[in-house]
Amino acid sequence: MRALLAFWEKEWLALSRDVHGLAVLFLMPAAFIVVMSLALSDVFKEDSARRTGFAVLAPGSPKLAAQIAEHLAGEGWLAAPAPADETKARDSVRRGDLGAVLVVGGDFPAAPTLTVLADPALSPAQLVAFQQRVMSVALGLKRAPTVGLEVVGNPRGGRPSSVQQNVPAWLIFGMFFVVMPMCALFIVERREGTLARLASQRVPAAMLLAGKIGPFFILNLLQAALMLAAGVFLVPRLGGEALALPARLDLLAAVSASTSVAAIGWGLFVAVLAKTMEQATVIGGVGNILAAAIGGIMVPRFVMPPAMQSLAELSPMAWALDGFHAVMLRGTSIALPCLKLLLLGAALTAAALWLQRRRGG
Amino acid sequence: MAALSLQGVSFRYPGGEEAVLRDVTLELTGGGVFGLLGPNGAGKTTLISIVAGQLRGASGRVVRDGALGLVPQELAFYPMLTCRENLRFFGGVQGLQGASLKERICAVAGLARIESVLGRRAGELSGGLKRRLNLAIGLLTDPAIVLLDEPTVGVDPQSRAFLLDTIRSLAGPERIVVYTSHYMEEVQAICERVAILDHGKVLLSGSLSDILEDKSGLLTLRLRPALPSALAAEWRSRFALEDDGGGRYRLYVRDVNQALDAVRAAGCEPLAFAYGERDLEQVFMQLTQRSLRD
Repeated sequence: MRALLAFWEKEWLALSRDVHGLAVLFLMPAAFIVVMSLALSDVFKEDSARRTGFAVLAPGSPKLAAQIAEHLAGEGWLAAPAPADETKARDSVRRGDLGAVLVVGGDFPAAPTLTVLADPALSPAQLVAFQQRVMSVALGLKRAPTVGLEVVGNPRGGRPSSVQQNVPAWLIFGMFFVVMPMCALFIVERREGTLARLASQRVPAAMLLAGKIGPFFILNLLQAALMLAAGVFLVPRLGGEALALPARLDLLAAVSASTSVAAIGWGLFVAVLAKTMEQATVIGGVGNILAAAIGGIMVPRFVMPPAMQSLAELSPMAWALDGFHAVMLRGTSIALPCLKLLLLGAALTAAALWLQRRRGG
Repeated sequence: MAALSLQGVSFRYPGGEEAVLRDVTLELTGGGVFGLLGPNGAGKTTLISIVAGQLRGASGRVVRDGALGLVPQELAFYPMLTCRENLRFFGGVQGLQGASLKERICAVAGLARIESVLGRRAGELSGGLKRRLNLAIGLLTDPAIVLLDEPTVGVDPQSRAFLLDTIRSLAGPERIVVYTSHYMEEVQAICERVAILDHGKVLLSGSLSDILEDKSGLLTLRLRPALPSALAAEWRSRFALEDDGGGRYRLYVRDVNQALDAVRAAGCEPLAFAYGERDLEQVFMQLTQRSLRD
């Protein structure tokens, strides 16, 4: 334990004196948060270019459901296969797979009831538009005098605003950039013979890597706290919308911690793999930018075409963003994104350890 | 008592065509400074790395009896940390803490004479001070076996003299100091035993006095004035006398005192002479040949 504490102290001291590394970790994401939140604030208010999936559920009458869906489709609404039952329909909406599900129930065809299960991410304008389409179809079919509307999920939620998209997005981006200071110090340690000296003192490779995990984990959490604070306090002072924090801050901390585990695993892997700072910049820096580009950090996923949205699922940054949005917008479970991040972090750390041992460290 | 034993140590780097070390056997016991000499690429640093546990995969046996401290050729510390922070880190990693850590930091800082710069960042120190910090870190645990890999590279003459004095003072019956260097005069000045390594093989090992002992009867002389021509002609045929024309002579005799008496009787004053002893550089060059290695 004494040895581990010595490593953590050394890492903190080295980090605190790495001005460029700290600028990358704190100033860069903060600048992105402010600039992008302000620059894209109007874009996020519009529903332009969005195609929303919907389904029609008519228990016992799939033919009628298909007929209604055919009439509702178009003008930004895309018909999807109907879920098996109302419970599954609610789950699909809650997960954001479908924007709306029209449930046709009651005494059909004498006195039917029509209910729209709606994703809180839909804007009010989209909801009204969908209601009107349902009304017109219903009147055309002469079956329903009124349409009930039920928003499923957190009523405070909705499609992310500019600040709700950009704060977690650039925070995640900044957290993954711990790869750069991690690599910088590790490469200096290898080049200057410090790792060799530590090996001669019988310091195991696991200790070398564990010595980096603690300080960078705390650093990541510090980044999360400061970037969220920038969204809450700084962005509104500059004319943007304030970030509203969710009631469950513990879940926010859990997503931040899971993101940190993945980011540190990535950092350790690149630090051990790269032999020079140039290699680290290419693998770590460019890797981060690509993961951000496809993962909905630079461009929100909901404006991407379906193929790109599928590709985004491969990016750990997208998993992290899903986790943050699950807490901040949807009020849904964070288990899956957190599990993916933790497994990735563990796998990358194990790979780094294997590689370091193989190199005789 | 510290002991270091290498038995039949061989090593080839992964993917390398030739073995870097071939059947190296050395027995070091009883303390003192042991010099490990060899031209560039001879395998000295590889051997040190194997003994220090940095390199794995060597065949043969390495047995260390006693704690080991390594002072590598590189300045293996953190330039962004102060000297004290570096010493605290390396001490902490090796299990030192509290009062014992402070005590050892004071001891090694005093030994390396870096007390006045303990609060300065290591990266800002002069070359000599960096070398001294490098040495101090290697001595933190008061090791019984100290491996010094070219510890005087790139330092000024004053720092070199200080480092050599310090290294000499480290050695004792309870401590083995293994010292690698290119500088023959350093090795000759501080080592009791030496081994000469080339192409991964030990060419010669033993006590320095045995290695330098010359039984060929070579006498080197510097005289003023020059030898009378008659005597010189006689000695050319009897003792294979050679001269450089500037008062320096080489000849082979059985009785050095008789030769010196004859010189004095001829009216010449011996300004300097050497008999029965070789220079380490002569031995080294004779064994390793003169061809360039880099």
